[in-house]
Amino acid sequence: MNTRDLVLVALFAAIVVVLGLIPPITLGFIPVPITAQSMGVMLAGCIIGAKRGALAFLLFVLLVAIGLPVLSGGRGGLAVLAGPSGGFILGWAVAAYVTGLIAERFIHEGQPESRQFGGFFLASVVGGIVVLYGIGVPWLSAVTGTPLLAAATGSLAFIPGDLLKAAIATLAARAVYAGYPLLPVRA
Amino acid sequence: MLTSLYVEGNSWFHRLPVRVKLIALLLLSLSLFATQSLYLLVPAFLLCGWLYFSLGMTLRQALARIGLVFFTILVLAAVNFFLLPLPEVAALVLRLMALVFFAAAVTATTTISAFMDEITILLKPLERIGLLNAADVSLALGLVLRFVPDIFARYEAIREAHRARGLPIRPLTIIGPLIVLTLKDADTIAAAIDARGFRRQ
Repeated sequence: MNTRDLVLVALFAAIVVVLGLIPPITLGFIPVPITAQSMGVMLAGCIIGAKRGALAFLLFVLLVAIGLPVLSGGRGGLAVLAGPSGGFILGWAVAAYVTGLIAERFIHEGQPESRQFGGFFLASVVGGIVVLYGIGVPWLSAVTGTPLLAAATGSLAFIPGDLLKAAIATLAARAVYAGYPLLPVRA
Repeated sequence: MLTSLYVEGNSWFHRLPVRVKLIALLLLSLSLFATQSLYLLVPAFLLCGWLYFSLGMTLRQALARIGLVFFTILVLAAVNFFLLPLPEVAALVLRLMALVFFAAAVTATTTISAFMDEITILLKPLERIGLLNAADVSLALGLVLRFVPDIFARYEAIREAHRARGLPIRPLTIIGPLIVLTLKDADTIAAAIDARGFRRQ
């Protein structure tokens, strides 16, 4: 890893911290506030790619673990990791990695714009939703004893919000890709 | 801007080495998950709660740190209430809350630098097999802490620019410019780091 990669990783982790400081937006039709921070996973994979995106989130989780209040709402510390949603937080790095892998595969320069939008959206949904819930929900079920099916059904409530986040992340990632492409090229 | 969750104090738990506290946390979680017995879980819950509240925080501060996690635990317990027998639900709630109390106590009594020293030691084996450079991790952490206020100032500037033009403030129109402007700095910062020879490669 060269110094530029290291700096990109650190800067992206810092961006995710700042996204957590932005006040959340509550939409009328879903009860969950949209925090910009949980889009970070999708953005990291789509913008700086698999390896760097995953490292940015490992660094971010390290910040959480050593007791900095970097999660949205000023949360942080080992207590959050020990709690029921610890699996989601630890799953972020893997989710960012998968998002990045898909984005690197599907996005190339000179493609029609619609293909790029499609690629970023696919990457955000598979990485940021499928993989993340694939780790977080079984973890939650194991830790809290809630049967897996009930936990999975309950988390369906978050899916509309996540799809909206994937859409916003897609538009943002494509805007960054058009203006300042950083996504590694994969042969 | 990023004040650590460390709480100034001189309790016996403050004086315990980080390593001991982290190993204790690990052992505690392993043993609590191994038992279902309320005779063990109730005392564990009370002890961890007592430990956490005896660290010198006001009740409000103490609750603010763990409130949201406890809320999640209680919501899930409410779901479990309909699906599982009562003693089992009680065991699950007590176990998780005890763990959260203990973890929060470790966080409240350990400084960032103490954590960093421990992490550097933990990374040594990875460094030996050439997987990463422990100094890089500290450098990256330092960079994050250094740049968060700058990036936040940039966010405010973009928001002001929106306001000045009468545009609504939406995440979508802010995140793009924020990321591009920030990541464009990467080359300058990387050049500065290399020029000072911080990473001897």
